[in-house]
Amino acid sequence: MRNPPGPVLRMGGMHRMGLPLERLPDDALLAGLMAGDPEVAVAFVRRFQRRVFGVAIAVVGDVQLAEDVAQQTFERACRHAQVYDSRRGSVPTWLSAIAHNLAIDMVRARHSTPVDPEDLIALLEAVTDTPERRAIADEESAQLRSAVAELPREQARALVMAGIYGMTARQVAETEGVPVGTAKTRIRTAMGKLRTALAPGREVGHG
Amino acid sequence: MGECCGMTCFQLHELGAELSLGVLPARERAAAVAHLDGCARCRAEVHRLTLAGDALLSLVPGAEPPVGFEDRVMARLGPSLRPVQRLRRRRRLVLVAAAAVAALATGAGGWALGSAEGTATRTVVPAAAQTQLRSGQLMADGRVLGRVYVHGGPSPWLFMSVDADGVPGPVRCTVQRSDGSTVSVGTFPLRDGYGSWGAGYPAGPDAIAVRLLSAGGTVLATAHLPAAGG
Repeated sequence: MRNPPGPVLRMGGMHRMGLPLERLPDDALLAGLMAGDPEVAVAFVRRFQRRVFGVAIAVVGDVQLAEDVAQQTFERACRHAQVYDSRRGSVPTWLSAIAHNLAIDMVRARHSTPVDPEDLIALLEAVTDTPERRAIADEESAQLRSAVAELPREQARALVMAGIYGMTARQVAETEGVPVGTAKTRIRTAMGKLRTALAPGREVGHG
Repeated sequence: MGECCGMTCFQLHELGAELSLGVLPARERAAAVAHLDGCARCRAEVHRLTLAGDALLSLVPGAEPPVGFEDRVMARLGPSLRPVQRLRRRRRLVLVAAAAVAALATGAGGWALGSAEGTATRTVVPAAAQTQLRSGQLMADGRVLGRVYVHGGPSPWLFMSVDADGVPGPVRCTVQRSDGSTVSVGTFPLRDGYGSWGAGYPAGPDAIAVRLLSAGGTVLATAHLPAAGG
């Protein structure tokens, strides 16, 4: 749950006048979106557009297509806001998943090359731990980043190819020049380590 | 459970990561999903893997979309937003100058949103001090049980976050208006006393308080709201 009562309650008594929408918790903003409020819709888009576009561009690798994916993501979020369940993940996590699914569908529909080797290296660098990133990241994402960084390189590559680019084990195998069984093992082992790194009850999701 | 629907738990374990990432080929996926239908343990395992997959996405760096993205999204969302807002937009045109002045005077950041066509039908989202969003603590016998956000105007809505240990769900939410009338906004479940929920409600006189009631109608907590506009 991204906005537990604790942090919300600490805002108590602060505002005698109108609250700026920027300070509204993510869940509340989604409730406003559900009500069809255009001011809230603007605030919602502003809050999450970097996150949504970041996922889209990482997968499709083309600004025009990524924008289309990002637009569809917000449209879908607006239309299906009532099915969002905070117990299953934060609002940004939910949006990222929508954007990711749409981006993967778009790549598959276009039969595009799943991944450019240079893009893969750049993304791998971005999702793994570095001192600079450690300094700015919060504890949860730093822990997760470390877990990915500690993976053997071939497992990390398989994880990013399957988990972010949406490549099947067969595609990973072809890209890496290894048997399908090896690719499957790499994906499974990497995911197992990632799951272990996330302690029970912990959930990572950031705006 | 060892085997269900032609697939064993071991086989499911082998494919669980690919299933959770959505990269399992259709035939294997169908067999795996059929297995999950009858195996709670494997279902829980795949759920944990799915959370890990979602978490991986959170590591993807954010990226600034192209200029004008926000306008184009808003144009696309337009049909999903309440038509009544179009009247508010026209009214807000008058407020452009006032909002800009207020933003300069207070140092607050006023928002300006252009239309997709970049025509004169620009919408101005009010600066912070002009929003119709109010907030109050849900109180019961001096205890804080949560917080309520109420957004007024022609399309009012509210959101509440409740942490009321020991209170069973479902609970009902009502709004008391400045004319003394009460409107029932809806019912929502609590899980271990905790829940968050939001909904729209009919426009009318300003809300002055929000109440949380048990299924039996007993008032559990009340949030008094600051006066609208001030």
